[in-house]
Amino acid sequence: MKRRTFVKRVGAAGIAGLAGCAGPDADGRGTTTGTSGGTDELAGTLRVATYEPFVDAPSVSPGAWIKEAFESAYPDATIEWQTPNSGLNHFIQQAQYGDGVEADVYVGLNADDLVRADDELGETELFEPVSADTLSNDDSVIEELRFDPAGRAVPFDTGYISLVYDAGEIDEPRTFEDLIDPEFEDTLLLQNAQTSDPGRAFLLWTIANRGEANYLDYWQALVDNGARILGDWNGSYTAYSNAERPVVVSYSTDQVYAHRNDRDMQRHQIAFLNDQGYAVPEGMARFADAAKPELATAFLEFMLEPRTQSEIAVRNVAFPATTTADPPESFTEYAHRPPETVTHTYDELAGSIDDWVSAWAEQIASG
Amino acid sequence: MKPKRGGDRIARLQYWTGEYALQGTAALTALVLVVLFYYPVGTVLANGLFGSVEGTNPVLAVLGSEFYLGAASGLTDPSAVPGGVLDWMRAGFPAVDFGLIGFTVYQALLSTLASLALGLPGAYLLAQYDFPGRETVRSLTMLPFVLPSIMVAIGFVAMFGDQGVLNGFLGWVGLESVSVMYTLQLVVLAHAFYNAPLVTRIVGAAWAGLDRSKIETARGLGAGPIRAFLDVTLPQLGPAILAGALLTFLFTFMSFPIVLALGGLELATVEVWLYARVQQLELAQAAGLAVVETVITLSLTYAALRYESGQRGLGRGPNRKPLFGSLRDPRRLGLLGYGLVVTIVFLGPILSMVLESLTGPGGLTLDHYAFLLERQATGASYQVRPLPAIRNSLLFGLAALGLAVPMGVTVAILEDSRFPGSRVLGTLLMAPLAVSGIVLGLGLLQGLVFGTELFGHRITVTGPVAIVAAHAVAAYPFVTRTVSPMLQRVDHRVVETARVLGASRARARFDVELPLVIPGIVAGAALAYAISVGEFDSTIILAEGSSSYTMPVAVERYLGNRTLGPATAMGTVLLGITAISFVVIDRVGGWWEP
Repeated sequence: MKRRTFVKRVGAAGIAGLAGCAGPDADGRGTTTGTSGGTDELAGTLRVATYEPFVDAPSVSPGAWIKEAFESAYPDATIEWQTPNSGLNHFIQQAQYGDGVEADVYVGLNADDLVRADDELGETELFEPVSADTLSNDDSVIEELRFDPAGRAVPFDTGYISLVYDAGEIDEPRTFEDLIDPEFEDTLLLQNAQTSDPGRAFLLWTIANRGEANYLDYWQALVDNGARILGDWNGSYTAYSNAERPVVVSYSTDQVYAHRNDRDMQRHQIAFLNDQGYAVPEGMARFADAAKPELATAFLEFMLEPRTQSEIAVRNVAFPATTTADPPESFTEYAHRPPETVTHTYDELAGSIDDWVSAWAEQIASG
Repeated sequence: MKPKRGGDRIARLQYWTGEYALQGTAALTALVLVVLFYYPVGTVLANGLFGSVEGTNPVLAVLGSEFYLGAASGLTDPSAVPGGVLDWMRAGFPAVDFGLIGFTVYQALLSTLASLALGLPGAYLLAQYDFPGRETVRSLTMLPFVLPSIMVAIGFVAMFGDQGVLNGFLGWVGLESVSVMYTLQLVVLAHAFYNAPLVTRIVGAAWAGLDRSKIETARGLGAGPIRAFLDVTLPQLGPAILAGALLTFLFTFMSFPIVLALGGLELATVEVWLYARVQQLELAQAAGLAVVETVITLSLTYAALRYESGQRGLGRGPNRKPLFGSLRDPRRLGLLGYGLVVTIVFLGPILSMVLESLTGPGGLTLDHYAFLLERQATGASYQVRPLPAIRNSLLFGLAALGLAVPMGVTVAILEDSRFPGSRVLGTLLMAPLAVSGIVLGLGLLQGLVFGTELFGHRITVTGPVAIVAAHAVAAYPFVTRTVSPMLQRVDHRVVETARVLGASRARARFDVELPLVIPGIVAGAALAYAISVGEFDSTIILAEGSSSYTMPVAVERYLGNRTLGPATAMGTVLLGITAISFVVIDRVGGWWEP
């Protein structure tokens, strides 16, 4: 018991010293040990739910670092990670069937997750809005990444969907038109938009590009040109790695991994179709049922701190969501930002995304 | 035969176990099934039968959909059928499309044929020939069964891909390369990889208990070997072949990750669709599709049970010939060719996976195994560590085996005692085979994990006990399907003799019938163990937090961004440990063979 307190104190002091910036450490909370009464609401267990690779990927994952750093900053608090197999659906269903939601914060929301939750739950609020007043570093969030008009989800990082191609095998595909050109026959691997995040983002991108009336025709042309739609990103990237096809839909941060693992950069070239990339910001939100709302807010604050933002960029291999982050050069040099970004707003997705995806899937499967 | 008053306690205990074992295990089976199968699955199916999708009944919505049923969707409106048929004739009899369901059936048929073609020669080889390591090979036939589909997909891409090992070899010997990636052929081959060993095992167990005397009589009466095979051997093997084909059909009908990984969405099956509906939380739609799927799979089960009846006779087992002898024998040449195919189809993907675990960007490396050790040493409580995964897999497997064997044998005995409605009951008891993993998973989640209100208390079922019970539910039908055909072949005269000598019905079963079907029970036990070790869906749903995870769960969790290494290393560990345990189960079981 004593040893634990000691470790926590040293850890907190060390991190406060290293960070040397504003945040919970600065006002002295970081060095209290919980005996004083005023910080009760910032003590106890914070249940943070997220998708499983966020805490348990063998390559990189920010979970362990976040837990350690947060617990150092709040020595009376403990983070308990939850990674239910069905992700956010678990909590939507818990709100529907169970005795209320058994978590305080969710990390890793996409706009379409939020649309689905709202669609399922109707009047019931799964998440609570976090106003700018309670979140002191809210103004550092990049405005264009905000995807929740109700202000419940706060973006904490973003990825951009792009193509990854093997420059030793083919020329760079530059436009959507190129992909249906015979030159690119049997070259492209995609993912199932029904079940895969990058797959759905790419579908939405084609809808933005071709319009709601024409995207299915475009996809027919893609399939006719030999594009293959696999189950998930892992499978398609594996096939790409095995040189089965020279182009795969992936993220524009691909070279960060490739560089880290000494891969041949020729095989990890990024192509932005029409000089664009489809933005998929990831958000975090506080559950309306949260047992520890103050601690949850402190966690959201912590996630937006410059130091945390830089670490998440490196460990989750995604761009920071704030203007104040300063990721190391090993990240910025190889993470490519698209010249122009495309995305759908919450309102565009609500009421449409189901129909878009279903129509698309039926056409592909009937093909 | 009733022990006298004051008789030996052990003898009395033995007597009562014999007398009431059947009733006891039947009650246990019913309890486990109701809690972990009928109730959860029932809630899902009820949702499909009585729910609503935009004002329509979910089942009718599926049956009326051209996407699902193609031309057959017109059948929901019988008055339109004659017109539809006329239109079709006027159009010059174009190819009829039967939609997603039709394609799924077609795909499963092809997969079943491929699995039989690949599995039956194996059963013949193991039953008729002797060679060094035969027992070990027989034990290992179940290995593909436990491999997570993601590993199989990785192995198949590495082996059969356009840039794969096979094409490398073909190019090296100067042959033209083959391109099977993203085709139905590759999906069918992968399904055969999973199911041919099952056919081999089930038919092999039946072949081992075959009544040789009848074949000898037929040969003695002048029948040639082929005639004797067709007239005597094949009818005796019929039930087992049918059981193997049925299981294969059900599995490949409900196949999903392999289809997406090796074929793509263009080859989508019903299960692919069901999974997507569940992910989108369109649960009423999912339930409607689940009802249609379950009706198809259950009727197939019923039909197969209807025809699964063999001739009765007491087996003596074949006299095996040595495999390695004169190569002038055309059968031996054929088996040599078969060995080559087996090496490519089974060993190829498995070795490719193992090789992947030993390869890094700079060539051969042990880094991925070092990762496993490091994760074991420093992994946090919310992360999956290798040793607990191994321990849980082994323990759950043994416990599931202990539960599934008595359950499976009990059901086999029930099936053997013909009474009115026994076939319907038998089909219902085989339902765990015929219900897709996604439907069961959804039911477990809704009915048990989120809890259900009972007498004012919220009941939730999770944790190791629930996982073991779920594994047993998934596994016992395999025990039944290997034991049942053998039980039906037991010569009833032997049982009647025991009855005449004063044994009760239960006593005769316990002491006379069961020892005769031990090869089937052992084969079934190994299958049950394999099911438990390989099970993924219910395990991850019923596991509390990150505790009680198993080896396949660890494999999935170690799939990292852009690195297969740790996952393939864990997959190799799974392969090694289950291989050893299969050999042990078969050996231990072998000692009990009469």
